[in-house]
Amino acid sequence: MIDYAKLGFKAGLEIHQQLDTPKLFSGAPSFLRNDKPDYIVMRKLHAVAGESGIVDEAVAHEASLDKEFFYEGYNDTISLVELDQEPPHSVNEEALNTALTVALLLNCETYPVTQVMRKTVIDGSNTSGFQRTVLIAHDGKVETSFGNVRIATVCLEEDSARVISKEKGKIIYRLDRLGIPLVEIATYPDLHNAEQVKECALKLGEILRACKVKRGIGTIRQDVNVSVKGHDRVEIKGFQDPKMMIKTVDCEIDRQLNDLKEGKTVGGVRNGLPDGMSEFLRPMPGASRMYPETDLSLLRIGRARIDMLKKNLPKLKTDIRDELRKKGVSEDLIELVLDDSELFDEFNILINVYSVDANLVAKMVTLWRQEFASKSGKSFDDVKLILNEKVYEEILNAINDEKITVSDVKQVLIKLIDGVKFSDAIKIEKISDDLIEKEIREIVKSKPGMRANAYMGMLMAKFKGKLDAKKAMELINRVLS
Amino acid sequence: MVEFNFKSGDKVKFRLAREEIEGIVIESYDGDVVLLKLKSGYNIGIPKENILDCHVIEEFKDVKKNEKIVVSTSKDKPCIGLVVTGGTIAAKLDSRTGGTKPLTDVSEFMKFYPKLFERVNVKKMSVPFMVLSENMNYEHWITIAEHVKEMLNDSEIKGVIVTHGSDTLHYTASALSFFLRDLKKPVVLTFSQRSIDRASSDAELNLDCAVTFALSNCAEVVLVGHATQNDDYCYALRGTKVRKFHTSRRDTFKPVNIEPIAKVFPSKIEFLSKYNACSSGLTKLDCSFSDKVALHYYYPGQDPSILDYYLVQGYKGIVIAMTGLGHVASGDTKNSWDSTLKRLIKNGVAICAAPQTFYGRLNPKVYSTGRELEALGIIYLEDMLPETAFVKLSWVLGHKNWKGLVRDKMLEDVSGEFNTLLNE
Repeated sequence: MIDYAKLGFKAGLEIHQQLDTPKLFSGAPSFLRNDKPDYIVMRKLHAVAGESGIVDEAVAHEASLDKEFFYEGYNDTISLVELDQEPPHSVNEEALNTALTVALLLNCETYPVTQVMRKTVIDGSNTSGFQRTVLIAHDGKVETSFGNVRIATVCLEEDSARVISKEKGKIIYRLDRLGIPLVEIATYPDLHNAEQVKECALKLGEILRACKVKRGIGTIRQDVNVSVKGHDRVEIKGFQDPKMMIKTVDCEIDRQLNDLKEGKTVGGVRNGLPDGMSEFLRPMPGASRMYPETDLSLLRIGRARIDMLKKNLPKLKTDIRDELRKKGVSEDLIELVLDDSELFDEFNILINVYSVDANLVAKMVTLWRQEFASKSGKSFDDVKLILNEKVYEEILNAINDEKITVSDVKQVLIKLIDGVKFSDAIKIEKISDDLIEKEIREIVKSKPGMRANAYMGMLMAKFKGKLDAKKAMELINRVLS
Repeated sequence: MVEFNFKSGDKVKFRLAREEIEGIVIESYDGDVVLLKLKSGYNIGIPKENILDCHVIEEFKDVKKNEKIVVSTSKDKPCIGLVVTGGTIAAKLDSRTGGTKPLTDVSEFMKFYPKLFERVNVKKMSVPFMVLSENMNYEHWITIAEHVKEMLNDSEIKGVIVTHGSDTLHYTASALSFFLRDLKKPVVLTFSQRSIDRASSDAELNLDCAVTFALSNCAEVVLVGHATQNDDYCYALRGTKVRKFHTSRRDTFKPVNIEPIAKVFPSKIEFLSKYNACSSGLTKLDCSFSDKVALHYYYPGQDPSILDYYLVQGYKGIVIAMTGLGHVASGDTKNSWDSTLKRLIKNGVAICAAPQTFYGRLNPKVYSTGRELEALGIIYLEDMLPETAFVKLSWVLGHKNWKGLVRDKMLEDVSGEFNTLLNE
């Protein structure tokens, strides 16, 4: 067991998450493409005189100067902003609102007025030679079972161009990723053990996924900063996989302890490896050179916007889980619904159509399609094509309109899979209450003295799906009383 | 309300309703907001009304570093002249205060463009004024011409570079083309579309190629700037046949009705069309200019009485950017321009026609409209750009001794403003 407290262990997280909105300063579409680019442009970056007027040391020594960078683009999705051929447009409203929503969910204080900054980047990954970034909120917190973790800052920034190939010093970037909005969350070094690091990362992930963010590989990039007493801070990049988090942190502690034994204390930036180890990437960079984006006016966030966002904060999965429990949905079903983001989205849409029976909706989206597929011999995809979200919505509306009852749903679905037209499938042949009551009286007469459930079984055997079970039970009880 | 006792550059601590905040005050162009640079480097704004108390931790001291910038000269390097007039290419950002300041002396220019000074000796550098190009007028053009001429007539100087805002650079290029007579050496105008604080600024390549051209054997007034979206070469474009065509792209200047004079790389030139070669002797100056000339853009349905305003105001010449082959409403139609044009011409106003289309040549003979207008005495300026026509007409009318010669002078090819072949 590692005694984290004794080692003076400290850690903090930094997360970059792409938002699922148009590009931050151009409004261009924000998706990655793998088809053949329409054009390629060549650019160079050069040294820039810094504050003192003297060319920045770091910039001057950057090997990339005078190197040629190539940028691939598409006529229909890349704008002049990404090409550094036009000044930025005002910040994309949807992206700003999404980032602010994240900040509010993290209990942060937002800034009423802020300024978009240019952070000098000269590795060619930004056509402009800088990354635009804006600080929007500060000093929030997330809860973990080990105590609160304070959030230092929340920034909204533009993603860089992605490297397509790197051969013999010739770097080719693609402009599809450049300008995609990123929300950057940095915690204070409040994490006191590896388990808490993981818990905090998962918690932040959950909060992000409740907002309009992109999903999938490459859409979230996470770094962890780790130090033990006596050792400088080490930043480990590529810290995304929850399964490896504890191991990576513990390996780094080992490594730092070894360093200390050898009298080494120097921090740096390391690249996390799949086995939990890490490799040296570069020394810790100095503070980035930042200066105002002069092409944009001050960004006024405003009280009205914050109030509007606060009213519409999305629910976290933990909250939804509690709600579903209250509605009587079984634990297994809750897990199934929450497990798959696509199913979860579908569930959310359908539960808004028909909220009386959450169990029914949960079963429809999780279990039944598979069940019908194996019963009918059709493939799951074919079943899903027939029983799509739209069809489910119509069926739930039919319940609302009292055209069918909850107990009819399964029967309707089976008919649909058998190829029956929707309008015919929802025509449920109903036995009149009089007829049922008559039948009950006859059964009771022929076999008196049994329990209500037994009569129900016999009734069901006779009428099969045509019977509204709830109604029938009422009638049985009435007859028996 | 709290009385503020701080100024830009001061390190301060503010007390707000829920927190205290520390940072350096940055110049704010918004009166209601104090801009603060935080320790992280980020700037944030604080509405003045939110500041409950402020305390100056450290006052800003403008440390004037006595850096000795030695402008390196060497006998092996060729000499050029440099005229700096403002615009994006000569504006630096002061990140401490957040404002922009012009680069006004040689040493500062050298800090931003060290490469230029490695390649050549900047024997003479002058900064006659620092003006955004949209704020210039013909007096600025004359001043630039005077500075350029003086440098050109220094026997050591191979060529002169003028840095200038891009918005109206093509007007200045035209003016210099007419003002500088018997040109013996290259005169290169250049600009930038992306600010020079960024590593991606187009100023670098433009200036690099401008130097290459200034050292060439081509005695013409040219505008040098990005040829394409790429940072590989520039075009040298004839000063009288060039126009700004894009609000923001690097390759904003295009030649009209003519080929570029040359493709210019940082290290070589490929000439694409004929040019005057350098020769010995002195360049002369002819800066006569009339400020009573207008450039007027015709649109369908325009009431011609607008032209009477010019007459009343004492205008001597009007260039009308006409539609198609050279037309405005005429004949028996509502708002016909015939009688108004006739009256102006009769009153001695020189009326010239230039193509609204930019590309192609006017030809008044094809349609009856054109024939009627030509008969009124309008001077049809072939394929001359409207902006060039405006500058040229002002220059021609500035010459009192050319009275009666206005038509001849306007149609004489003085500085490559016509191209019979229209080859692009």
